[in-house]
Amino acid sequence: MKRFFLIIVVLTLLIPTAVYAQGNDPWSEVFQPDGNLNPDLIDLGVTTEHPDWMSIELPFGQSLDLDANYHRYQTPSGNIVVLPSASTLFFMAMNPQESGLTNSNGSLGNGYGSLISFLGLAAGDNLDWNRIQAEHPEYTSPDQFWGAVLNGNQDVWTYFSGWGFITNLLQMTWNDGALRSLYLLYLNGTQNCASIPGGCSGVVTPPPPPRECPDPSVSMQQPVLTIQKTAPNNPLVVGQDTETRRGADIQARVTVPPVIFTWYEPIYEERDVCRSANVGETPNCKTSSGLTINDGVSDTERVFKECRMHVEHLPDAVASLQATAALDAASQDWITGKLGQTHYEAYIHQANFTLIPGIGSWTGGCDGGGTCTATGQALRVPFADPGTFNLRLDVVTTGTRFRGIPITQPRRVGIDGTMKVYVTLPALVP
Amino acid sequence: MKEIPVSKRNLIVAVILAVVIAVGILVIENWPLHTEQGSTASTSEDSLVSAAAVNAIEKVFQVNYQEGKEVWLNRICELSTPAGCELFSAGADRMWEKYVDAKSVVTAAMQAVEKIADNGSEQVWRMTIMLSSPLPGSNKTQDTAYVVLAKTDSGWNFDRFLMEAEINAILDREKTPTTTVEEGKK
Repeated sequence: MKRFFLIIVVLTLLIPTAVYAQGNDPWSEVFQPDGNLNPDLIDLGVTTEHPDWMSIELPFGQSLDLDANYHRYQTPSGNIVVLPSASTLFFMAMNPQESGLTNSNGSLGNGYGSLISFLGLAAGDNLDWNRIQAEHPEYTSPDQFWGAVLNGNQDVWTYFSGWGFITNLLQMTWNDGALRSLYLLYLNGTQNCASIPGGCSGVVTPPPPPRECPDPSVSMQQPVLTIQKTAPNNPLVVGQDTETRRGADIQARVTVPPVIFTWYEPIYEERDVCRSANVGETPNCKTSSGLTINDGVSDTERVFKECRMHVEHLPDAVASLQATAALDAASQDWITGKLGQTHYEAYIHQANFTLIPGIGSWTGGCDGGGTCTATGQALRVPFADPGTFNLRLDVVTTGTRFRGIPITQPRRVGIDGTMKVYVTLPALVP
Repeated sequence: MKEIPVSKRNLIVAVILAVVIAVGILVIENWPLHTEQGSTASTSEDSLVSAAAVNAIEKVFQVNYQEGKEVWLNRICELSTPAGCELFSAGADRMWEKYVDAKSVVTAAMQAVEKIADNGSEQVWRMTIMLSSPLPGSNKTQDTAYVVLAKTDSGWNFDRFLMEAEINAILDREKTPTTTVEEGKK
């Protein structure tokens, strides 16, 4: 039930208010007056990274490195809009300085109220409010307490009386990657992309334009990714299929449309002119028609004539492709629970597979039009457990360059899929 | 005025009774709560939780690079909550890569030292872990862990390790004089 409320509030928070679209507010180039995202935004896709502030330290110097996950957009003026996943946002709120949350324009202009609502729902029930009120009577409402936490004036960890909500929040985010609650705006993010959440992945950095011509422009479409089981139609767990340990075949494919880079070349022509004579030169023309004697020297000069438009289809090749399969939690519960009740000692053989590179490999390339593709296959994957496997494909591109100048940064994109593995269970029929 | 005769013997008995009652009140009022917690820790429920913690954490630090990451994670996940399993699996890639690079083969023994907090459905335990040999990135063979266990339909399961900020908060609270140990859930 709590999860349901959280999703509802998250969706509510995503509805931008009209204030964003008014005046010189930097949000005005993010949202249209009707509240929809401005179509001029460049969708930079989803970026993941492993920041220290999302690392869980274990004994003996070991650590669990969790993914911070952002969906980002670039505005025409070079600002970056960041939508963290729910778990990433929670850890950002717990580490506002280290995560760069406090550097965002959005955290002040649009976000604190929304962020406080999010924190209240995600963690509010797990705080010892009686103790907070006893030790800090100055906080007359939970919102004041959360505001102090976000400002770095209050340590929240002292007051948690529940702990499992963090793992539940992370699991909820993984199961629903679209659960993003807040828009954070980083002004001039393209100039300072190394210091914003998600770094420079995919950020468009066009070269300075010639003064006489329009600015160059970049447009790009999102890569199309697929990951799916290709055979057999209804895979059985290995050992039960007719062909010995047939398993299943998984195919992953990505198509990256070219980055369209439009730039303008200034065209000049030479024109005869009469320029002022320098010392030592013999005048041979008049610099003004009203003159009766020569005072200048014949010469040529470059004069701007026109802007010639060039459209480049830049290939953004695939640099790496990784595919994995993981038995989902419900299936694992079913095997160890319900199946275990009827089939003694039912257990999970292998819940996670590294498909590509690993069981299979991938190849890729780009055609003359700048479209790049990559395909990977993992054949005869020995799935030994029945249930639903979550498939995951992650791709990193090389980014694009034109005449040695970086035009777009490497992009990280990913997609999820599912496949089912079946088991035949014997039944006694009276 | 009527005189009530009181014998010397009765007077001594009355004084002794008064002293015993006063001492009794003082003892009850100042009885340290950690003694109460000590008895709580010995309940069968806590024994179950501490045993679950020992079993689960033993699996975490029982590393054999030749077995492969999946076998290692499956052992941990069998004793974990679904969310705890997912959390550990999602963050363990780089840790396992280090184990493979270092060809780590390590066994572990551990002891549940103390229940730190309890809200009914979750408990936090302080544990001492001893390794047969150090893991990569450390030269220690003994360390302390703070572990969250959660009550599920199948009993008590490992959920996660506390984060550094949470541990620091607990240690800070232990430094301040307080008799409250049991956490109250809102």
